[in-house]
Amino acid sequence: MREAIAGKLVGTRVRRVEDRRLLTGQGCYVDDVQVPNMAHAAFVRSPHAHARIRSIDVAAARRHPGVVAVITGADIEAITNPFIGMFSVAGLYDPRFYSLARERVRHVGDPVAIVVAESRRVAEDASDLVEVDYEELQAVATSGQALADGAPAIWEKAPDNLLLTHSHTYGDVDAVFADADRVITQRFRQHRVSNQPMETRGIVVEVDAATGTTTVHAATQSAHSLKWALALMSDRQTVRTSVKELLAHRDRPARFVAGVKAMLAANPEMKQGGNPMMGVIAKQMRRDPRRLVDMQRAMVGLLAKDRADRPEVLARDIGGAFGTKASVSREEMAVYAAARHIGRSVKWIEDRNEHLMVGGHARDEMIDISVALRNDGVILGMRAALTLDGGAYPSFPFGATMFAQIMRVMIPGPYRIPVLRFDTTVVATNKATYVAYRGPWAVETWVRERMLDVIAREMRISRADIRLRNIVGPDELPTPMVTGPMLDVRVSAKATLERALDVADFDAWPAAQIEARNAGRILGLGVATFIEAAPGPPGFTEALVPGMGSMAGGEPAHVVLEADGMVSVITQQVPHGQGHETTLAQVAADELGVPIAAVRVIYGDTTVTPFSVVGTGGSRSAALAGGVVTFGARALRDEVLDIAADLLEASRDDLVVEDGNIHVVGTPARGIGFAAVAAEARRRGSTAPGTEAIRITQEYDGGEGGWTQATHVCWVEIDLETGQVTIPRYVVVEDCGEIINPAIVDGQIRGGVAQGVGAVLYEKIDYDASGQFQTGTFMDYLIPTAVEIPDIEIHHVETPSDIPANYRGVGEGGMILAPAALTNAIEDALAHLGVRITEQHLPPTRILELAGVIPR
Amino acid sequence: MTTSHLADRASDEPDVDLQPLRFTVNGTLETLEVESRRTLAEVLREELGLTGTHLGCEHGVCGACTVIVDGDAARACLLLAVQVEGASIETIESLADGDDLHPIQEAMREHHGFQCAFCAPGFLMTLKALLDVEPAPTRDQLREELSGNLCRCTGYASILDGACAAVRAIQAGTNNA
Amino acid sequence: MKMRGFQYHRPSTLDDALALLGEHGDEAKVLAGGQSLVPMMAMRLSSPGQLIDIGAVAGHDAVTEADGDVIIAARVRHATMEASEIVRSAAPLVSAAAPFIGHRAIRNRGTVCGSIAHADPAAELPAVALALDARVVLQSAKDRRVVDAADFFLGYLSTAIADGELLTEVRFPTRAKRSGWSVQEVSRRHGDFALVGTAVQIDLNGSGAVARAGIALFGVGSTPVRIAAAEALLVGHRPTAASWAEAAATVAREVDPLEDNHATSAYRRHVAGVLTRRALEQASARAKAKVKP
Repeated sequence: MREAIAGKLVGTRVRRVEDRRLLTGQGCYVDDVQVPNMAHAAFVRSPHAHARIRSIDVAAARRHPGVVAVITGADIEAITNPFIGMFSVAGLYDPRFYSLARERVRHVGDPVAIVVAESRRVAEDASDLVEVDYEELQAVATSGQALADGAPAIWEKAPDNLLLTHSHTYGDVDAVFADADRVITQRFRQHRVSNQPMETRGIVVEVDAATGTTTVHAATQSAHSLKWALALMSDRQTVRTSVKELLAHRDRPARFVAGVKAMLAANPEMKQGGNPMMGVIAKQMRRDPRRLVDMQRAMVGLLAKDRADRPEVLARDIGGAFGTKASVSREEMAVYAAARHIGRSVKWIEDRNEHLMVGGHARDEMIDISVALRNDGVILGMRAALTLDGGAYPSFPFGATMFAQIMRVMIPGPYRIPVLRFDTTVVATNKATYVAYRGPWAVETWVRERMLDVIAREMRISRADIRLRNIVGPDELPTPMVTGPMLDVRVSAKATLERALDVADFDAWPAAQIEARNAGRILGLGVATFIEAAPGPPGFTEALVPGMGSMAGGEPAHVVLEADGMVSVITQQVPHGQGHETTLAQVAADELGVPIAAVRVIYGDTTVTPFSVVGTGGSRSAALAGGVVTFGARALRDEVLDIAADLLEASRDDLVVEDGNIHVVGTPARGIGFAAVAAEARRRGSTAPGTEAIRITQEYDGGEGGWTQATHVCWVEIDLETGQVTIPRYVVVEDCGEIINPAIVDGQIRGGVAQGVGAVLYEKIDYDASGQFQTGTFMDYLIPTAVEIPDIEIHHVETPSDIPANYRGVGEGGMILAPAALTNAIEDALAHLGVRITEQHLPPTRILELAGVIPR
Repeated sequence: MTTSHLADRASDEPDVDLQPLRFTVNGTLETLEVESRRTLAEVLREELGLTGTHLGCEHGVCGACTVIVDGDAARACLLLAVQVEGASIETIESLADGDDLHPIQEAMREHHGFQCAFCAPGFLMTLKALLDVEPAPTRDQLREELSGNLCRCTGYASILDGACAAVRAIQAGTNNA
Repeated sequence: MKMRGFQYHRPSTLDDALALLGEHGDEAKVLAGGQSLVPMMAMRLSSPGQLIDIGAVAGHDAVTEADGDVIIAARVRHATMEASEIVRSAAPLVSAAAPFIGHRAIRNRGTVCGSIAHADPAAELPAVALALDARVVLQSAKDRRVVDAADFFLGYLSTAIADGELLTEVRFPTRAKRSGWSVQEVSRRHGDFALVGTAVQIDLNGSGAVARAGIALFGVGSTPVRIAAAEALLVGHRPTAASWAEAAATVAREVDPLEDNHATSAYRRHVAGVLTRRALEQASARAKAKVKP
């Protein structure tokens, strides 16, 4: 077994530590959790897109045998705080809402009551008995309808249905456009899709009646943010009680204030950057004064509360998420509130119909883009106007507002865009919540790479040349993007493009395509290039929202030598398929010189893992968790060697560690193990808790951070009689820095590409014109199977660097770039028919319509 | 085998249709009484504690709940438990022999077949049923035969790699990987 | 997604099953393979009060050949049919449909008669039955009647099966010596119900002219449809590429497909023609090959 050989594990296809458990059916996903005296929840949901609730009659449901409780919106308003947005940017309106609807429902599936019963099936039986009297209202099913004159307002305080409007200008855009040789303009639309992990959302709220403590078993990407969100929203006290408790526990707010002061002192730029936020917060308060009370209740109450009243979150195996489990859902909050209210453990596992309807939708954006050009194809400037259909209820704690900022900052990609204007509009509609989905900002890459092909065809320049003329090359680095972030010397997007063109034999393509067409075959080839902030250069977050940077915080970890000589890595990451139990162990084992089996990765348990609101997401874990474990393990090694030097009566500098054996160079037989060091550490009076010998607590700010980049090349063949598109070949050339585990990196890339292929050819969340939901089963929402997904060739480029822990994320890129490469290939296949692709969903019907084979 | 309180409570309810059920699961004869509307998947998971069989869609599309019924792969969400009266069921929990992984599991581990692995039990049981009767499928056949199981993480290549390796390992008659 | 409660019955003889059906009338549903019924029940789109499981009924699980028919009994699963040598040689159009039916795990439980009784307009076997002039046997406690496929499919998921009746057999006519067949379909994903599809069989006479043509389309309306006008164009003539094209054009003209989230009516109409042409080409090649499949 190669894993047993200590030494260089990083960079090898180490087999996953997780697999022995997961491949034998011994995993513990949230639906596998059974706790004593557990009841089951089901939701009563709106069948209407938009309606007023006249009345709810729960009497029959409550009488139904086996029903424990039926809780409505009115009950929830009495026992919880509302969801209140955590984001403050100019032009934002944050709706105030509760986990259950009370007076109005705003999309099909909007929860109006929760039924708790002895089994899920009885809860569903009783749900059928809840009678809701609705008065239907006109629904808003698209952003176009939402912005039309006389459109009904979805939120009282946002009569124009605008949740966010602002504009950013970088440079003298008007002057550049006035002087340009050419301006090319196009509108692109991306349809609504959904993450759809194979495991839906779910939660088991375990109430220990004896102790009053609550453990929340959850499928979440961020255990700590779920914990604090639940605590914050369930802490419904009167203002008087809050203040009284606050005074009784004066030390806590004092400590909090001291902490904030220290943070500000350490980050003077935050004071500066944070100031505009204060103004925005004040404006939000003026618009909706209840917000002040809500925040006061939540914050003050929270600070004063005893620890025992807060839940602890336990996340174990998670069946995928792709972003949607980064949100704290209204259902999770309602189940938590219900369980606490009735004093009994409650399980809720979302079914697939619910997950399709309300479990999180994504994309659904439109961008109007104009590019100013010189006659030789050099880009002079760009204008882009984003309209994002955010659905009714914003995702908590972050969603459309945040992702719109990333779209703006990232739209230049790796290209020289000297000036830019970016207008942002987020619209409310009667649709389900817009959430993070693998590269939530991906529309910037799709639109830019589509637009480059449009420009190339309009200007009769090759699609390779238009990119090569505008992409930033190594000789120009480092250089800032027009939107702020720095492209450092490791940016290799151009190298990936050149390599991909070479692998694809791009120059020979036009002739090959014509030859095939003459033989009756319709072929296309598409190329697309991008960069991804994974995690981005220092200051990246500041470019998104000034003042946000220091609030996100660094990546913490504990690296612990246990009494028995084993090493524990305790991380805030909450892996859900990424294999962190393996990769973080690889990193720690290499630093320490121990076999991988000597390292255990602990995650998902808020009672032991270090605090961070981030969890796993944003392609951050390789760089940040990989980094913090590197440095934490390095620090532990130092302490271990200090003690070992004493025990071996040798100079530290003469010691080496091989396969967990610490010895003087050349005398492995006289070495000692980590257990001996641990025993000595404990003898010396270790201050580490429990059975630990040495505990290192490390934090890492991401260091130089950096970018992942890639170029994808996609080949398609189109049957012009049936509109079916097949993908005979797909090539990825990427650079994510040093690779911890190639099998895991390749798996992330392939999985992302598969989701991109799915979005373009198969998957679409559909509402009809009246806002009725159309895709509630897996026979409507089509996840591609093994037959539909092509084999994917992956080529790695690695730019040499001396930067320690030169790891960058790779989780999202496949999904960001694949729709661009695939739609570019489809346009290429149909270009001889005059087809221009401006939409992303291209099922067989649409292909034949575009090709003029059938009428629209 | 523990009986959850759910079944006990259910029996108190007036119009609950309880039926006796005797069937063999992973070689053990099980005798219980279940409500007729419960699926095989629910009874395996909730009554027998065999939570390796996962429910991904409950309407027969995703394949996560695939188990082997009398030698054939079947969706445990599309079978009422009462329908398998007298049948012999194999679940993912039966695949390994103690600490020794089955060659299919070993091959999947070697090839990083899965990521979140929620779908894995369904794929593995589908593959087990197939290889029991068709020991030498090609990669294209495997692609076709596994197309009734959805995976959202991997893009399937690693699963096919693992499946092909499992075929080779079983053909070679070896149990190592 | 949990089904409503029902009273479960597990008769061990056909007579018992028919007696139960007679007793419970329209309150009862028959559970054969359950691969269509169970998901509908899980989504509470169907909530029968009485469920009569014929899974334990003795016998009725064989494919036989008699009186010029391939007879598929009530409990024969798709997988059994797919593997049947009798079906392959005597009713090859039925065999040809098998790989398109769901995925193997579905075919392992779903039954041929159940699929025909369910009458999904996008399913393969109802169209195959129609194309072949199959007959179904409907039995009740008191009566037994034989219904032509042409008279069986009445509307969306609606058939000539009366309350108290069970579809106990489907009888596919044994193929003529010089015949060719083809199933063609387009689905969004592999294994999905067809967006549109066609089942075609043509028999040639001694001089090589078409003696009989059966062309049935699925996924184009509320039932599978036979396109007599297209068949009439072919009968009596030796097959040529031009006649295929003309028949295909007739099919595209005659069908009146519905639009849904997966395809427009115009798409289905167009592709119905394309698939008919492809099916006729393949069927013709097979008929002319004069060799056993």
